[in-house]
Amino acid sequence: MEIWGLLNYAIFMATFIGIYALLSLGLNIQWGLGGLFNAGIAGFFGVGAYTSAILTTQPVDGRLGGFDLPIVIGWISAMIVAMLIAWPIEKICSRLRSDYLAIATIGIAEVIRLVIKSEDWLTNSARGITQVPRPFGDLPYFESQLAYLVIVVALVIVAYVLIERQLKSPWGRMMRAIRDNEPAARAMGKHIESRRQEAFIFGAAFMGLGGALFAHLNRSITPEAIDPMVATFLIWIMLILGGSGNNRGAILGAVVVWIIWSFTEILTDQLPHEYAIKAKYIRIFLIGLMLQLVLRFRPEGLLPEPQSGTPMPSEATGQKTKEREA
Amino acid sequence: MKNFKSVLVGGLLAATALAGSAAADNIKVGIIGGISGPIAAMAPAMVDSAQLAISQVNEQGGIGDGQKIDVVLGDSACNPQNATDSVTKAVNVSGIVALVGPHCSGATIAAANSVTIPAGILLISPSATSPEVTSLDDKDTVFRTVPSDDYQGRALARTVLGNGTKKVAVTYLNNDYGKGLAESFKAEFAGNGGEITDFAAHEEGKASYRSNLAELAKGGADTLMIFDYGDGSGLTILRQALENGFFENFIGGDGMKSDAPIKELGGENLSTFLASSPVGEKSQSLEIFNEAFKAAGGDPDAIFVTTSYDATFLTALALEKAGGDKTKMSASLRDVSNGEGEAILPGEWEKAKKLISEGTAIDYKGAAGDQNFDEKGDVPGTYALFKVSGDAFELVSEMK
Amino acid sequence: MIDLINFYIVPGLVLGSIYALGAIGITLVFSILRFAHLAHGDLATLGAFIAFAIVSGIGASPWAALPFAMIATAIVAVGIDKVFYDYLKERPKILTVMASLGMALMVRSVIQVVWGVDSESYARGIVRPENYFGIRLKDREILTVLAMVVLVVVLQLFLQKTKWGKAMRAMSDNPDLARLSGVDNRLVTIMTWSIVGGLCAAAGFFLGINSEVRSMMGWNMLLPMFAAAILGGVGRIEGAVLGGLIVGLAEELSVLILPSEYKAAMAFAILLFMLVVRPTGLLRGKVL
Repeated sequence: MEIWGLLNYAIFMATFIGIYALLSLGLNIQWGLGGLFNAGIAGFFGVGAYTSAILTTQPVDGRLGGFDLPIVIGWISAMIVAMLIAWPIEKICSRLRSDYLAIATIGIAEVIRLVIKSEDWLTNSARGITQVPRPFGDLPYFESQLAYLVIVVALVIVAYVLIERQLKSPWGRMMRAIRDNEPAARAMGKHIESRRQEAFIFGAAFMGLGGALFAHLNRSITPEAIDPMVATFLIWIMLILGGSGNNRGAILGAVVVWIIWSFTEILTDQLPHEYAIKAKYIRIFLIGLMLQLVLRFRPEGLLPEPQSGTPMPSEATGQKTKEREA
Repeated sequence: MKNFKSVLVGGLLAATALAGSAAADNIKVGIIGGISGPIAAMAPAMVDSAQLAISQVNEQGGIGDGQKIDVVLGDSACNPQNATDSVTKAVNVSGIVALVGPHCSGATIAAANSVTIPAGILLISPSATSPEVTSLDDKDTVFRTVPSDDYQGRALARTVLGNGTKKVAVTYLNNDYGKGLAESFKAEFAGNGGEITDFAAHEEGKASYRSNLAELAKGGADTLMIFDYGDGSGLTILRQALENGFFENFIGGDGMKSDAPIKELGGENLSTFLASSPVGEKSQSLEIFNEAFKAAGGDPDAIFVTTSYDATFLTALALEKAGGDKTKMSASLRDVSNGEGEAILPGEWEKAKKLISEGTAIDYKGAAGDQNFDEKGDVPGTYALFKVSGDAFELVSEMK
Repeated sequence: MIDLINFYIVPGLVLGSIYALGAIGITLVFSILRFAHLAHGDLATLGAFIAFAIVSGIGASPWAALPFAMIATAIVAVGIDKVFYDYLKERPKILTVMASLGMALMVRSVIQVVWGVDSESYARGIVRPENYFGIRLKDREILTVLAMVVLVVVLQLFLQKTKWGKAMRAMSDNPDLARLSGVDNRLVTIMTWSIVGGLCAAAGFFLGINSEVRSMMGWNMLLPMFAAAILGGVGRIEGAVLGGLIVGLAEELSVLILPSEYKAAMAFAILLFMLVVRPTGLLRGKVL
């Protein structure tokens, strides 16, 4: 019984980590590659989740949806709709510097959350959408979890391979050039805005997919899932800890941060009851502290960005700082 | 790097396992609620009343041969991500046999769907009021001791009409709780000839709701229905309405029956404030619970403490009846609270144990209602209207 | 008409004054220290709770507690900078933004552990507004707006007339040049954080005294405060005040045309509009 229990838990954790890895990979494209500070991941996550839920559930009175389409269509649509939403957002914010983009995207995620919470006809508002079908959901507990994990891991691997290929391609090199030295890239005639858009939209697709996978895992999606803490900031911490600019870092960050997040709860459970409740607030403190420690002692993350080609004379940060401030 | 990674992962998982394998002798019951997050202010009291039930059980003989119940406390943070994570841990690592919670509807649905239903673990939520919980495909493992929003809203509508108030304005919190109550209220109230002059949602956490109140008051109603939480924006709205002279009468759902308005606004200012709450037919149950909870240092007026207590006590009764067999939990739960049998009131664990061992049928009559589950695991709920008297709430009348 | 004033405009102005106090701090950090201070809201919460602790601890009047809360928060702000932001000075500013996000979480959880998550007030009971020729105002509302005006005037005098004020403005315009002219950047940084801490405490305090004191109160204000700062123009104090008042009024007036649950989105809509149409803000501040 013990072993089965642990195995179940490990599988569940791995599935969650997989979903977060997808979100983190998406963010890596936007931030690590494109230099775009997207603080509204929750918005794309929510859009993807709801799109898939609306498309794959049964018809319900008074609400859009009930198309009862196959799950795969739901997932692909989630990615497409997330990309569609990303396009105007990036267009509006394209001239904004990172701080401003961060604030704007926080606001956009909030508006998306409000719309989802309030519009009955679209999302069943605060009640959320339930009875979302789950692939292999009818199998017994262990098998069903395992099946879902296999699907998620497969998708993560596909995503990883896809993104790595893009990174190594001319497009990827151009993105890095733009990020590191924009004036030079512009002088060479590169169309900065379009490239940035591509990075933003490309990243958003994975966030939408992550949302869809989450909705189908729980057979439901409710507005509380679009909480900034667990759907945006946690992913940022994952990427920074893991190493922004590095895809393996993005995945590693998801692994480490989620394990720590989950583990801190077990720790606080061991305390006597009166302190256990207060201790739950301390979890947030620990996550904030972890972020500070990473920034202090290893801001490039556990797996720094792989430097391709000859290293520049003044190493990583120094030169880049001057360039970005200019 | 790869080595380091696997060592790290392995180490953390091992530590996780170690943490979970303590005290394998006792029976473990999970209490999982929104300790951090939007309902953080309400959760501690609910956890406390659940703990009260457990300590009563443990003091009066425990389960079966005297096994004690260990509590596995978890934080759902009122969102599906944390809920599924903590419930999965509780079920798989700590090995709970039943779960009291989660508190929020979205969290409950997610946790049920991904863990407790597949794993066959009994789940009783004390506060998930969304109608979506009823329609879960749950193999009869999901129950709740709090009635669906539908019931309370309708009962309140009938009572308000019955008191002669035909014209109201409605403001509700924009979440599943507030919306559910408001919609069912509206359906019944308007459907029976009442007039709702304005029906508006509001978000929590704003500093001023005066403009909202001004809009609501435009219709000329003198009664405001507030479907919100008494220690959240419900408090702010009540305060600003009283201070600026909007509306004469205020009626709230069970979320407003909280000690926060009394504490912050003063009972003397709340003479026209009424709140509904689920109660048992034998109001004796409620009194017994109130005494016991007060003696244990808790506030019996806090939101959902009655349902939380009932859920936990019922879980223990089901455990006793099932004789430790996890697969019989649902049937046992129904057995101990189906309206037939000798009445067991809150705290009467010893008596219940004796009767169960003799094979006599028992029927739990809870502090928040009789808790006779229907075939979907819901309870119909009886309600009463409360007014503020001095520093506490006082029952005014039953609601039909 | 009188209703419009009493229930929409007055609350809007009061709220706007609170936002203004916060926005000034944000605009100072933006222009002098050059990053988006995401911990601003939670710092305001801290100030409000420190005042609450003084009030409930020794039974002082809230107004007497305010100056002490401002000083205490100023000290905390300087301390936070020394420990958590200072070493990131030479690195891309975006890292400081992230550090401030972590700081927001840490400050908030400390508040929750120490004071809990219940709603608190500075004074029990309700206070009905006085009637001034049909316009209903509570004393504390008048004081809120007055305090904001006073603090702004004092700050402006400081920035324009004193040596240190000029040093701050110099650092805001061009830190390298300022350093060359003999301005001690470290001292300016400390002064900036002291002022920001004090303003945060004031914002939190006035929010608390006009509604309730809760652990999430500051975080909920973060977006409107940023909207106000950007609306007015980054680096312009008068801009922050103007921005704050506009955002506050817009939020309250929005209920007239939008469904009331979207009130919260008003600040964001303004923010987005400004960023697209005129990122320099109304009073032409900097675009960083």
